[in-house]
Amino acid sequence: MIKQVTINIDGIDISVAKGSSVLDAALGYGICIPHLCRLPYISDIGACRLCIVEHVKDGRSKITTSCTLLVQEGMVILSNTERIRKLRHNIAELIVAEAPNSRAIQDLAIRCGVREVRYPFRNSDCILCGRCVRACTGKFGVKPIGFVGRGKDRRVEAPFDLRSELCNECGRCIDLCPMTVLPCDGPMKEGEERLCGKCESKMGLAEETPGFCVFCDLGEGFQCERFLGG
Amino acid sequence: MTAINTISELESLRTKLQDYRKRFKASLVICGGTGCRASRSHDLIRKVKEELAKQQLEDSVLIRATGCHGFCEQGPIVVVEPENIFYCGVSPDDAQDIIIKTICNNEIIERLLYTDPVSGKTFERESEIPFYLAQDRQLLAQNRQIDPCSIEDYIAIGGYSALEKAIAGMAPEVIIGEITAAGLRGRGGGGFPTGRKWTECREAPGDEKYVICNADEGDPGAYMDRCLLEGNPHLVIEGMMIGALAIGAQQGHVYVRNEYPLAVGNSKVAVQQARELGLLGKNILGSSFSFDVAISRGGGAFVCGESTALMASLEGKAGEPRSKDVHTVVDGLWHKPTTLNNVETWANVPSIILKGSDWFASRGSETSKGTKILALTGHIKNTGLVEVAMGTTLGTVVFGIGGGSSTGRPIRAVQTGGPSGGCLPVERFDLPVEFDALAEAGSMVGSGGIVVMDEETCMVDVAKYFLTFLQDESCGKCVSCRLGIDRMLEIITDITEGHGKPEQIELLEELAYTISETALCGLGKTAANPVLSTLRYFREEYDAHIRQNKCPAGVCQALITYSIDPEKCTGCGICMRDCPFDAVSGEKKTPHVIDIALCQKCGICRSQCKSEAIYVS
Amino acid sequence: MSQDKLASILEGRRSQPQQLIEVLQDVQKNYGYISEDAMKAVSKELGTPLIEVYSVASFYKAFSLKPRGKNVIKVCTGTACHVRGAKLILNQAVAQLGVEPNETTEDGLFTVEHVNCLGACALAPIVTENGSTHHHMNPGKLRKLIDSLNGNGGSSE
Repeated sequence: MIKQVTINIDGIDISVAKGSSVLDAALGYGICIPHLCRLPYISDIGACRLCIVEHVKDGRSKITTSCTLLVQEGMVILSNTERIRKLRHNIAELIVAEAPNSRAIQDLAIRCGVREVRYPFRNSDCILCGRCVRACTGKFGVKPIGFVGRGKDRRVEAPFDLRSELCNECGRCIDLCPMTVLPCDGPMKEGEERLCGKCESKMGLAEETPGFCVFCDLGEGFQCERFLGG
Repeated sequence: MTAINTISELESLRTKLQDYRKRFKASLVICGGTGCRASRSHDLIRKVKEELAKQQLEDSVLIRATGCHGFCEQGPIVVVEPENIFYCGVSPDDAQDIIIKTICNNEIIERLLYTDPVSGKTFERESEIPFYLAQDRQLLAQNRQIDPCSIEDYIAIGGYSALEKAIAGMAPEVIIGEITAAGLRGRGGGGFPTGRKWTECREAPGDEKYVICNADEGDPGAYMDRCLLEGNPHLVIEGMMIGALAIGAQQGHVYVRNEYPLAVGNSKVAVQQARELGLLGKNILGSSFSFDVAISRGGGAFVCGESTALMASLEGKAGEPRSKDVHTVVDGLWHKPTTLNNVETWANVPSIILKGSDWFASRGSETSKGTKILALTGHIKNTGLVEVAMGTTLGTVVFGIGGGSSTGRPIRAVQTGGPSGGCLPVERFDLPVEFDALAEAGSMVGSGGIVVMDEETCMVDVAKYFLTFLQDESCGKCVSCRLGIDRMLEIITDITEGHGKPEQIELLEELAYTISETALCGLGKTAANPVLSTLRYFREEYDAHIRQNKCPAGVCQALITYSIDPEKCTGCGICMRDCPFDAVSGEKKTPHVIDIALCQKCGICRSQCKSEAIYVS
Repeated sequence: MSQDKLASILEGRRSQPQQLIEVLQDVQKNYGYISEDAMKAVSKELGTPLIEVYSVASFYKAFSLKPRGKNVIKVCTGTACHVRGAKLILNQAVAQLGVEPNETTEDGLFTVEHVNCLGACALAPIVTENGSTHHHMNPGKLRKLIDSLNGNGGSSE
């Protein structure tokens, strides 16, 4: 039998299986902690930093990503404090400024309260969430793609930029890519660095009720735990 | 050499080696560290050997090619023992003189003596030189006494006797208790209490445990770890052995930067020698303790100084840090409990065990005990490695030991702690060099790099330099660090190019706060320090760039122009010859002019002008 | 690519994925760069997926994926060298040879690189040419050094 532990998220006691992450626990209970790089049932790497929470221990709170934090008996987590909201806003702003025309990223940014973007837009094709790399199984369990280079040169690539014979053409990498959600033709033009949030009515709702899952379309595209009926 | 199986065998070997040393009437200590090698000390060593053979003195004069003495600027350095006469800037041609005059006739060679640039006085002995006088060289002093490639030398000066003591009569808890009581804190940057780390690792479940020595000294401007590992590798290995004994590890790894070929080579030799003597391997000194060390070369990544990235690299992977929600003392290398300490931390262990925690704690400040090696570089008269008791003020280090500015221009600031540290202005030189005081002031001790900067250093440019460095060195895994540093650099570049806006300062501060709170690893969490500290102490310099389009120090290329003062120009033609962009023109012996349209502001002409006729405005 | 040399590098390390970085270090040292063929061979012999070899080779600074010039000029741009004018030295190399840092001249004679610290800060600024160290550099000294390497065709590593 799987051992259960009780943790407290935002004042609510939640009983959850030992070994799950805090993010899993929260999503399962309907508490929405925004997240991007996470993939259910696949190891999490803490790359996008959106799912940060305050972990309160011995009277001190430490900020960490909830996807990499495993539940422990008696753990106290705050997912929606002013400090977290501000930091999450700033991170979402950094991400959306890289990929302003991805609807998935826009929605996510609005979910995190971003309207104005204070950086010049760049139209990157990839924001290095690594969902494709982690979801990919390849032939014989050997991945054809991975992260290459470091720092500002980091990119997802197949060796020597050739299409690998190890690709089994399952298409999961494309399905899970936030950049492949149809772009909106809205306000994303140079010099107009703001997000209107009009196209996703649920986003407005999410903004008014931060912390609650509203079954957003984003979740469907991203295979959020709630959407999978987890 | 035959293997040693018991403590008494090691002790009798030591006595034998000490007796052998006493047979020589004099020793020539020649520094063969990286710095002195760059100044051709290997040629000098060869020449001295030839000369000794010629004079048939091989049996009475001992040559010792040692590791770095820390006074690299004066290299190559030769010390004649037993009188301890100190010669600097020695060339291979001086070999004959040293042997005939000093060794044979007890004559001192005036031209090779050290002249203090501050007082103009000349000194005969090392101990009299102000650079050494104000130091407390507990670790560095040993470098002079041994050839790093000779385990015999190390044993002769008392090496491995701390290991003897630990094996003979100290329970693991007692060893850790001693380290804890000494108040030793990690020398790599964070200042984490070493005793606590060892305790947690010892208590972590599992039989297979590791110790790691972090010698991936990536901080640009710091080289004490290089100096220790290449000059005294056995000291570091002995420290690791004691650590392993205490926490219950069987295997150690030394992770060295590949940019330090001498450190890699010497530590490999040391491990080999220790194995041959039976000091590494199974049942060391007849006890139940078995331990071995492997040397691994780093691949050249600053981020591998971070413990989880270093462990990933040791496992043969890209050096990407991972989340440390579970500490490495429980889940480290190969997911086993692992204790990782910096070179200097390990090097402190043997003397704490041998001389006791009280001895160690008698030096230093309230919260930072012992000594710290600092790398003093930049615009300063005496550059080199200095070891001082923790708590010594920055002023003492910079002016007392360093001798003040080397450029004739006043000193403006120091940068401490490398890319994770910050800049402190001359007004704050009353600050003690210790973990907590420097952290409170917005900088850190870090690995101990102290870069001195004079008035022609632009602080915005310094912040830009570190951001460029960090952008280059970030692994790129997490958004905060990869995009955050990138955007900070974008803003700072705007400022140095004269497109800055006042509101960008606020954004810069907010961004800095975001990165430091949310980045995945230590590199990211401290990446904003150079920006925050320069904003804190040199705000007016940012304002000058933004509001007046001026770089007060005359550094930022977009905001300056180079011109030639016709009064001072002698028309020698050097600037014209050296300009890579053909921007200088003029007839011989008449004042030259710079064509602003062609000038790329590289500054080469100004650095080459002998009559200081080229100025920046 | 000489197969013997590669075989001797791999000797005793086959099927040990944790040896990847050490193996690549030796490949880099012996061949001056890490070629596609070398990566494929290393991947096969160590039993590491090719993508992992590629990602490690492209992650670390010690590895070059392109052949380098006959002469490798490394300009140290560590903090101590930076405040003593390393930028001027790099400018000199870049302007004189007409290549950007980490690029190789068309005739294949020179590669200019910058490194983050060679640990000889007291002797700043530092330049290494094919592994030998030159201290207290200035643009003039570097110009002469490059000229001399150009004149006699340079020395090999």
